[in-house]
Amino acid sequence: MTVALLAIPREAFAAIGCTLSNPAQDLKYLFPEMTSYKEDLKEFPRLNDGAELFKSLKARLGSDLDPIYETYETPYTVYGIYKGKTKIGVVHGVNVSGKGGVIQVFLSTDPNTAAIKKFFFQRLESPASTALRDKAFRSQFEGLTLADFYKHDYYAVAEPGAAADKVGKLAVPKIDAAGKPDYDATIRGIRKNLILLDFFVYGKRFEPFFEKAQTVKAGGTKQ
Amino acid sequence: MLTRYLSLAVKNLRRRLVRTTLTVAGVGLAVAVAVSLGGFVLGYREAIDKSIEMLGFQVMIMAKGCPYEAATLMLKGGTGLLYLPSDTYEKVKRDDAIDAITPIFVGIAQKEASSIRDEGSEKTFTVVDGIEVPSFTAMKPWLKFKGGAGYAGGKWFDQASKDEVVLGYELAEYEQRKVGDTFYATITPFGKPDLVRHEFKVAGVLERTGTQDDGTVFMPIDAARAAFNRPNQLTILGLKLKQFNAANMREFETKWLKLPEVQVVSLQQVKTTLISLVSTAQTMIAAVAVIAVIVALIGVINTILMSVYERTGEIGIMKALGARRSDIFQLVWLETLMICLIGSIVGSIGAWVGAGLVEKAIKSLADLGVSGSIVRITPGVIGWAMSGSIALGFFAGLYPAWRAASMRPVDAIREGAS
Repeated sequence: MTVALLAIPREAFAAIGCTLSNPAQDLKYLFPEMTSYKEDLKEFPRLNDGAELFKSLKARLGSDLDPIYETYETPYTVYGIYKGKTKIGVVHGVNVSGKGGVIQVFLSTDPNTAAIKKFFFQRLESPASTALRDKAFRSQFEGLTLADFYKHDYYAVAEPGAAADKVGKLAVPKIDAAGKPDYDATIRGIRKNLILLDFFVYGKRFEPFFEKAQTVKAGGTKQ
Repeated sequence: MLTRYLSLAVKNLRRRLVRTTLTVAGVGLAVAVAVSLGGFVLGYREAIDKSIEMLGFQVMIMAKGCPYEAATLMLKGGTGLLYLPSDTYEKVKRDDAIDAITPIFVGIAQKEASSIRDEGSEKTFTVVDGIEVPSFTAMKPWLKFKGGAGYAGGKWFDQASKDEVVLGYELAEYEQRKVGDTFYATITPFGKPDLVRHEFKVAGVLERTGTQDDGTVFMPIDAARAAFNRPNQLTILGLKLKQFNAANMREFETKWLKLPEVQVVSLQQVKTTLISLVSTAQTMIAAVAVIAVIVALIGVINTILMSVYERTGEIGIMKALGARRSDIFQLVWLETLMICLIGSIVGSIGAWVGAGLVEKAIKSLADLGVSGSIVRITPGVIGWAMSGSIALGFFAGLYPAWRAASMRPVDAIREGAS
């Protein structure tokens, strides 16, 4: 009889943050031209304006934060990818609660434009797993920025169905009702990931789009 | 007087700082190896004791196979499970020698592993324990439900329930599940080709125990049997005997080994098996430690002897000025002891700081069948290693000290001058 020890990853058990399981191999897979990478641990309590940022995360996300797994203390790891001395990418992952387990949503983004280069899952167990992991579905997000999500909020109020609403035009994969919560959690994960990247890496450059959306939502003038 | 010797000894050692540092490093390395080994022996035994104690039973009845397999199955989980007919429980539980008994059905559910590859992820597994709550919790009275936000109201499932589970602490954290959440487990029913994804409701999350239970999904035994399509089977009977001693155990074993399909395993046996499995490795590590100590000892003798030869003239002058044999002897001896003492302090600190790395290295090299910490560096272990090092210094310093003390002043001054 062969006993294969259970592959329960104890290290993963120890942290509630979201890190790549095999950073060196995974990042090389995503960026074959990579020559080095840096890990940057971000925690709200260690940031000067951490409390304010954490508070603003909920408003920008548009949904409540999980009181246990999306706390002020939750650590985030941002990977900076380099070719020689040139930064060629940023990779960041977040945990979101799926219907039957955690979903780990990762994005690689352009270090200059903050646009999504690739969206992928590290963990996803769902009846909608096949549809959500499908390349055609995931590739729709390539090129989007956080601005597009904020603009979507704006268009949803100001010009529903606007041609310029890139997020509104994303094709929803064919999934049944059992898989819908995981689709919603995935979209929430992408948005949360982009917001955190905007906080941690891109200097809150998309704030004007958020404010514009908030203004229109509050019934202010259309700008 | 001792202060003067000490001051002189420190000066002498500082005069050859590089050599002294290297010798101290050699002693430190040997002590670090010895402390780590001591910590491993102690930690591993304690980990086995704790793991076995936390199983809650004294004896297990399970399908025939290797006792080590049986041990690791219960202590760490495993695949390749063997099953007993469920009527074994009915037969055994009537035995008067038994104080408590609990049937356990163990199954392996498939989970998605972590992977970012487009081609999909490897699968991983999680242990599912089908249990009978009253008898199981009687064996493990320390199992408590986690409270607080998200976990309040945690409770054991109704025994007749088919869709409720209780999660171990680490599994709940890994899957980010709270009380009332849904939990997916994908199971291959016995004899069927297709996987079935089950949706369970989390009835409770247990507090951390530091054992395999932390990574386990608990569900009613009948629900587990149904999910795995093994309605008339069980994996283990956990038992406590009214009087547990070698004679009773032998009698009990003899009685139930008559059943063709079972083996009776005492947890004492399991403990012995696990300890014997690592004893060879421990002997090898001990041999390495002994070699390191011998090398360090030779290094110390060499350093002090060189120092004595280099200071021949100086020693001659000291003696000519009235230093006695015992003064020279004590001075050189003290230098040796200081090297060993500093080396042992450095080595002990190194071993204490590096205990986590040592533990990681050991665990990556071999599965030892237990969960939890296996390297435990206590003041006692450090004390033994330091005492040993000083004792070695005591002997290592004898010859160089005797050699220095035996020099004749005139010869020593002449030799030193040349």
